[in-house]
Amino acid sequence: MISEDLRFEGFDARSWTNLISLFAPNVVSRLDREAIGSDAPEAEEELVTDARGTLVVVLDDRERVLKAMHTRHGRVRELDYLGPDQLEAMAAQHRASRCVVLREGVAEEIGERVAHRIERGDDYFAQLLVVTRAVREMSEAGLLVTWPRTMGDVPIPTIGMVRRALDSVLPDEHALVVVVWSRTTPWTALVLRRRGGLVDLVAGPDLIARWTGPLGGDWRRDYRVISEAVERHVAPIHLGLFTERATARALLREYEPGAWARAAAVRDVILHPTPPYVAVALGADAVRAAARESARWIGGVEALSQLAPLATYLRSRVAEVASVTATLGFDPLKLLAAWLRRAEEDAGGG
Amino acid sequence: MGDREIPLLSGAMHYWRLEPAAWRAGLTQLRDLGLPIVETYMPWQVHEIAPGEHDFGAHDPQKDVGAFVDLAGELGLYVFVRPGPHINAEMTYFGLPERIVYDRACQARSPRQNPVLQPFPPRMFPVPSYASRTFHEEVGRWYDAVGEVLAPRLFPAGPIVLLQVDNEASYYFRDAAYEQDYHPDALAHWRRFLERRYATVEKAADAHRASYARWDDCAPPERFRAETPSELAVHLDWAAFREDLITQALAKMRRRLAKAGMKNVVTVHNFPLGEQGVPMSSTAIESVVDLVGFDYYHARREHRTIKRRTLYLAGTHRVPYAPELGIGAPAWFTPLANEDSLFTAMTALAYGLRGFNLYMAVDRDRWYGAPIDPRGNPRVEAGTWKQLLSAMDRVGFHALARRAEVGLMMPREYARLSRATSLLGALSPTVLEAIGGTPVEACREDSFGLTGPIQVLWWKLVARFAAALTHAGVPYVYVDGDAPAEQLEGLRVLVTPSFELCDPARWRRITTFAERGGTVVYGPTMPSLDLSARRTLFEVPSHGRRVLIDTDDDARHVVDELVRDLELARPFPVRPAPLEATVHEDAARPRVLFVVNPGKARLEARVTVPAPTRLEDLLSGERFEGREEVAIPMAGWSCRMLAIEGAVQAIEGSGEAVAS
Repeated sequence: MISEDLRFEGFDARSWTNLISLFAPNVVSRLDREAIGSDAPEAEEELVTDARGTLVVVLDDRERVLKAMHTRHGRVRELDYLGPDQLEAMAAQHRASRCVVLREGVAEEIGERVAHRIERGDDYFAQLLVVTRAVREMSEAGLLVTWPRTMGDVPIPTIGMVRRALDSVLPDEHALVVVVWSRTTPWTALVLRRRGGLVDLVAGPDLIARWTGPLGGDWRRDYRVISEAVERHVAPIHLGLFTERATARALLREYEPGAWARAAAVRDVILHPTPPYVAVALGADAVRAAARESARWIGGVEALSQLAPLATYLRSRVAEVASVTATLGFDPLKLLAAWLRRAEEDAGGG
Repeated sequence: MGDREIPLLSGAMHYWRLEPAAWRAGLTQLRDLGLPIVETYMPWQVHEIAPGEHDFGAHDPQKDVGAFVDLAGELGLYVFVRPGPHINAEMTYFGLPERIVYDRACQARSPRQNPVLQPFPPRMFPVPSYASRTFHEEVGRWYDAVGEVLAPRLFPAGPIVLLQVDNEASYYFRDAAYEQDYHPDALAHWRRFLERRYATVEKAADAHRASYARWDDCAPPERFRAETPSELAVHLDWAAFREDLITQALAKMRRRLAKAGMKNVVTVHNFPLGEQGVPMSSTAIESVVDLVGFDYYHARREHRTIKRRTLYLAGTHRVPYAPELGIGAPAWFTPLANEDSLFTAMTALAYGLRGFNLYMAVDRDRWYGAPIDPRGNPRVEAGTWKQLLSAMDRVGFHALARRAEVGLMMPREYARLSRATSLLGALSPTVLEAIGGTPVEACREDSFGLTGPIQVLWWKLVARFAAALTHAGVPYVYVDGDAPAEQLEGLRVLVTPSFELCDPARWRRITTFAERGGTVVYGPTMPSLDLSARRTLFEVPSHGRRVLIDTDDDARHVVDELVRDLELARPFPVRPAPLEATVHEDAARPRVLFVVNPGKARLEARVTVPAPTRLEDLLSGERFEGREEVAIPMAGWSCRMLAIEGAVQAIEGSGEAVAS
């Protein structure tokens, strides 16, 4: 889904790092972590107090340990491999939050299979799916075992399935816009455009500023200026998401039913335009929350009344949401939430 | 350059990615930062409009590299051009034409004759073979076209003063020992390599414990299979061959550049991150090009890596130089803030970097964070870079030197063994080192009947000595095991890991160093086997100290003894740990002191000075002074560049401090 002519431009170091910190907090927080105190770390010599990082074990054909290493603490000299059923215990013993055990030669085998199967003209996403399938084959053959098996039961979609799902999220010849403000100025921003079936533009705040000229400083008004400029310079917008930094951070970490719907209702988040799948998702969120704890809602009945049209909309479009999930065979939002949660936990270790 | 001395400082700007109308503003701002040279790649893919047909501005003014070079010259800038063929530059196919990467005759091969894919977005693609004759012929035609534009613009007729030969020639980041290259032309090269090394097929067979009847029988290893020392030779040869393949390819490209009229200009090659794991010999390549340097893209927390890389350049190469010192990064790289880039630059300077190319100085597609935007407007970050460059200019930094009396040797044969025994395929030693691990991270633990897993232990031993020398405040450098003898001049102590298996040629350089009065610290084992695992007599170094290092304390004990016995210099000691200080001097006296805080916590540095001294922070203008000790506040992950203003004659009393 990525064009080989992809353009990525308009970010300075701060706006790019800010964007990454929203969606991949562990990547940014890793930069603030103290380095290990040695050029040749060994886990036995490290003061390990928490269970983080990945334990990697390479076995030969007789299941003899050829190598064990901890991604945060280095070489592991004393390790007994007790079989694939004991990975959790092994991870706990060596203070790791994940464990990967593979047979010697598996990495090379994956490389050979991928090189053999990838075809000229495959885009990057299609290429990644080939890699994923090769890894899955090794896993199914018992040559590559992981703990926990977070993705173990998730079916690998075909490129056609992914394309159809993307059609719902970002249709061809359309743009997706996210702008996050800090006080009066954009803290970070992102414009994605899909053209010829592929994402061909990733633009940041500098480029957006060039399209809009000076902004007024009130984000609830400025979003319209940005929307118009993007429509003029890039493509019709399929989804625009505008909010403030604190709200964005809170919502991305919020698992309370109704939080997104409530934020949209009180305009802490402006979704403009609102494509069907987002409206449905918001409606579902609102209904879920209302069913559980409607009495605790801030704004009470008034907020519910604002969401009523969404709930009505939900009834008419529920098949669309179901189709995305059915197409992929899994719920991508649920997976994203789980991934972000995991990233947050990793980041928390400092 | 002619009668002018200019520091080796440049900034990158990609003409073909910018509107020609923005070239003048970009170049002017780049010059105003304090950079005397502008650097640009030349992408083959962009200029080739049909096979063998090129546009250098006749059709598209944005491709008019001649006009860009001329404009730079008009603005008083020199020019550094990097015409590939591989340029990366975050371009699809790394700047190569699509027809080249999909030409089977050009493609590198896996053991099963599959292509080898470069993994980065926006498109994985089959990488070229550094051995392919077809590829080299195509490169030659590209260079001919380049030469027509560049040759008339070479110094002194024009402003071009530097040329880079290829780029980060590390097998396109698919450099694990048995990933490539099994292209028929590479296999022919392998057999020629063995012929050069052994002269006769019988000797090669003897070394490999194989039954070769003719050179064609010499099949390369496709995976690691050794269980005993005698089975290691073919793997060590394969690892050495892969270095040689790159060296020979770069030599061929340089000759071809010269044939295309591009000669009598300084040539450069750059190593990617993870250079200790990379199957390239920096010393061999420096016999092919004039300057070898490393590319720097680091977060602040990577102080030790920045230090190690720079000390290696300082101890092994002609000029410690960074052909790419990152400001910003590509989107698919670890995100880096401007503070990371600045800390990296200053820390590298602290440990001895003398020249760099700021990559990117002017922003462009598929990049973020450059100090000048694509329209030629300076961003806020430009201010700090201008201050740094101004500070370097003020003290004449390019002409200063940092003295080190101790060399830590990186034995190349052990590094090759590490590469040969790495177990994670595409997660090669280079990749592991580049992402913050070590090049021995994934090596198998087998001992092969020797003292221990040499492929892991050598690195551990070097690391322990590095930590001990740092703790003692003794300046040191890393010396490649294959470094020419002149790199050992000025050293008083050479520390080298040694095990049963050893390269006799390297050992002879060590014993020669000892015969000339140097002290050699080696161990844990006196070598006894050559690289074919044959019993060989190794001379015990005179003045040698054989040491057994099992713990960090052992290394500290040895270093303490060396400091005491040899009275090793420890200039401007600083405390508390983990603060470090480095001193740069000219022929007369110390001129610049760097204080580095590699940790996250804010600390107050207390620098012991030999006489009452005043220090001025060359970037902030703050002044610090003291009679025996100078206190300097240090933010977390920070580096100060301080001018040593000379002994202060009167700090107290009148309140006037007079620098002498």
